[in-house]
Amino acid sequence: MKPERTHILVCTGTGCVSAGAFDIMEALKTEIKKHNLQEEIAVVPTGCNGFCENGPLVLFEPEGIFYRRLSVQDIPFLVEEHCLKGRPVPSLMYTPPKEKSPIPAMKDIEFFKHQRLVVLRNRGRINPERIEDYIAFDGYMGLAKALEMSPEEIIRQVKVSGLRGRGGAGFPTGTKWQVCREQPRTPKYLICNADEGDPGAFMDRSVLEADPHAIVEGMIIGAKAIGAEQGFIYVRTEYPLAVQRIKKAIKQAEENGLLGEGILGSDLKFTLSVVRGAGAFVCGEESALMQSIMGHVGRPKQRPPFPAQKGLWGKPTNINNVETWANIPQIILKGGEWLAGLGTENSKGTKIFSLVGKVNNTGLVEVPMGIKIREIVYGIGGGVLGGRKFKAVQTGGPSGGCLPESMLDMPIDYESLKSVGSMMGSGGLIVMDEKTCMVDVARYFTDFLAHESCGKCFTCRKGLERMLEILTNICEGKGKEGDVELLEELAIMVRETSMCALGQTAANPVLSTIRYFRDEYDAHIREAICPAGFCKALITYSILEDKCVGCGACARACPVGAISGEKKQVHNIDTGKCIECGACAEVCKFDAINIA
Amino acid sequence: MPKLTIDGIEVEVEKGTTLLEAIRFLGINVPTLCYNDGLTPYGACRLCIVEIGKPPRSTIVSSCIYPAEDGLYVRANSEKVIKLRKLIIELMLATVSSSKTIQDLASKFGVTQCRFEPEHEECIHCGLCVRMCNEQMMSGAIAFAQRGKDMVITTPFDKTSEVCRQCGACMYICPCCELRCQGPDAETTVCNGCLNLEPPCLDTYEDKMCFLDPCAACELAGPFRSDMKKKDEA
Amino acid sequence: MAKLKIQDLKRIRDESKRTVLLREGTARAKVTIHMGTCGIAAGAREIMDQVLRLVEKHNVQDVMITSSGCAGMCSHEPMMTVEYRYTAPVKYIDLNKEKVTKIFEEHVLNGEPVPEYALGVGSESMY
Repeated sequence: MKPERTHILVCTGTGCVSAGAFDIMEALKTEIKKHNLQEEIAVVPTGCNGFCENGPLVLFEPEGIFYRRLSVQDIPFLVEEHCLKGRPVPSLMYTPPKEKSPIPAMKDIEFFKHQRLVVLRNRGRINPERIEDYIAFDGYMGLAKALEMSPEEIIRQVKVSGLRGRGGAGFPTGTKWQVCREQPRTPKYLICNADEGDPGAFMDRSVLEADPHAIVEGMIIGAKAIGAEQGFIYVRTEYPLAVQRIKKAIKQAEENGLLGEGILGSDLKFTLSVVRGAGAFVCGEESALMQSIMGHVGRPKQRPPFPAQKGLWGKPTNINNVETWANIPQIILKGGEWLAGLGTENSKGTKIFSLVGKVNNTGLVEVPMGIKIREIVYGIGGGVLGGRKFKAVQTGGPSGGCLPESMLDMPIDYESLKSVGSMMGSGGLIVMDEKTCMVDVARYFTDFLAHESCGKCFTCRKGLERMLEILTNICEGKGKEGDVELLEELAIMVRETSMCALGQTAANPVLSTIRYFRDEYDAHIREAICPAGFCKALITYSILEDKCVGCGACARACPVGAISGEKKQVHNIDTGKCIECGACAEVCKFDAINIA
Repeated sequence: MPKLTIDGIEVEVEKGTTLLEAIRFLGINVPTLCYNDGLTPYGACRLCIVEIGKPPRSTIVSSCIYPAEDGLYVRANSEKVIKLRKLIIELMLATVSSSKTIQDLASKFGVTQCRFEPEHEECIHCGLCVRMCNEQMMSGAIAFAQRGKDMVITTPFDKTSEVCRQCGACMYICPCCELRCQGPDAETTVCNGCLNLEPPCLDTYEDKMCFLDPCAACELAGPFRSDMKKKDEA
Repeated sequence: MAKLKIQDLKRIRDESKRTVLLREGTARAKVTIHMGTCGIAAGAREIMDQVLRLVEKHNVQDVMITSSGCAGMCSHEPMMTVEYRYTAPVKYIDLNKEKVTKIFEEHVLNGEPVPEYALGVGSESMY
């Protein structure tokens, strides 16, 4: 049998799958067989590569050549040219927005060049459904090493690494493990929080789809360190591919003696099972999550006592986020000091961000802590979409805040983000441009939180409801003087008096937008104008006389027939009928539609 | 036995005591709505909030469910807490202005304005009825359903309950079922009838003559007497 | 599969390593067989097969085999470029099976170029 000379790595994260990655894989296999190359060229499905807007993605190794936006029709030509004749195909490669020539090698593309893959090291290069692939890249060697270490030594390495909880709160992981270990009660439990409720966040999903064994290995090491015998992975039910892959990984680990009794021939015993969420954002909160696992309704509980002291069924429970667990195998294999060499003084290691919004290169990026926001948005992200003006970046999802242009040179770490009114959160980074209305952003997140609040605390439930009422009024042009002050008072009340972190961080979107974009609020209230031209009630569409040539394209595009005019005459919009859908602006080639 | 400091007073309590129990043991006044001695504390109304720790690293917690721990530094009526309580009561007035308990709280704590549009709901979601039915009446016929804004208290799947014995304990314990003095068709969101009230019986006697708290004379004294002017009309 | 012990882990890793090493892009040497239409017509396909057989025979795990398009010197096909790490690439021309074997054993495995079969030293850009 001939050894293989080329591997074609096809990204099969959920994003690329929904764009047709499995069809691409089949097409590749068919074409390769047609040219009788199937013994030397292998087609391998992998996890998410992160460059999600450019999917379906395919990587040819060992040349490292990267193709994107493939369709099934491209495949015959691609296989004939690249595989048979050895001529890579430039038209299918990635060309940066303002450039003319494509960049063939993945490692030269800006998006990938500046990333530092620790948690995502196996993305795009292993088949997540083959345990042999994972083992080939030192998988389970961390576990092998941990089995020869004492629990105290394992915890010491985690402490030395400086790893902090990646779910958002940033609590030192080693300390949490120590507290749990020192609890006398048994049995102890481990939980992996894969609920990932932040809208637009998909970091944890990517890790579960690309490298599920990393979680399994991390948790087994945790079991040795803490003394737990049973673990749960709580995955939101909206992630079917992630659930499928982690279940398969657990099954493979069991079949190979890496879970269950006598792990790797030692006397360690540990079992893992998957619990699926049922659609509640609040179940990502640790105490509500535990309630959910136990079969109760997901309502947070007062802490103290903390889960490490009294968690599932009253027993000591250690709960960590997916990304935190995925760091563990490498910390043990390479030593805690290795991770401590990355990042800043107080925030060690790397962090995965989902870079989305009005940015050129949207996708998943892993960078060392301490990187400046500007580097992520302009360097990796390739700048604001459409060359528009940068306005703000929202970090941390519904629990975070918006940061303006003046903060672009701020290094990203737990403390610095908190000090300016935002937070790291799970790692969402939404880029906003001049056409984004910041009041609407506050309204959107408050709406989300008001719906997702469990409802127990009066202040969170009613406070968010009332805040939403005021924000909606402002967006509809019904705001009055004093509304912003009342909004601030309510927001502070929700923050100070709520029992769980949902309420405690709910004020961030509102307070940060008021802090940095007060002028937008004032414009809505005092002048009935939406500066970004977004809030439907405050904008009017009109046709500029000096630009309109009377082509009639807008009138044809208008779904409600609000535009009238003679051919070659200036057209007119009936504002009574206009629904501000923007269809006319999209078709006008003369920039004659004015939105103000 | 945890030893902690409340409003400057050092006190030692049994393990498992909540902050609220310790505070009330010392005779310090902290308002509650969803708390009842005979039921497990729930922590929904957030009125019993107190400030623990020393600023700027202090936090606000609800004392009815927070365990008294060794070394805690508690301020039951700090400026921050008092301001927050007033806003909470204001929001409660805007939600269920027909409740006597809430109107009495408003007068007691000096809440004279309500800047929100009243919703005229009938339930404050304190959960007393749920706990009463479950723990004291051993029935468990009602519970919270749905989440957030849509939260309601109802029977499973809104079906007629087979375990409800119609004992009425839920109505008895409900703070909203006892209607405000002014009656259900009130014109104002804030009653304030007993605000700054001097019992009229002291005109004649040297001691207050009844045990009612607040004094029912609000119906005779407050804003409902035709010869009394409202504050802003003066 | 049976229950693994630590030694088994190492064995599986080493066995799988060769396959996945391709994906790491690090290698001792990189062999590029020029397979433009002219190359294929001159027999580059057989050269490729030969190189792969040599890889298997010597059980090397860190040699990259790739193909590329026409190099331009059509009269000297089949051609192959060998780049041993940290040294300049060497272009070999007018190949046959014997020459390939010698080049593989001396240059690819040991880093010693075979000057009598070479065209010249130096890199070319491929795109």
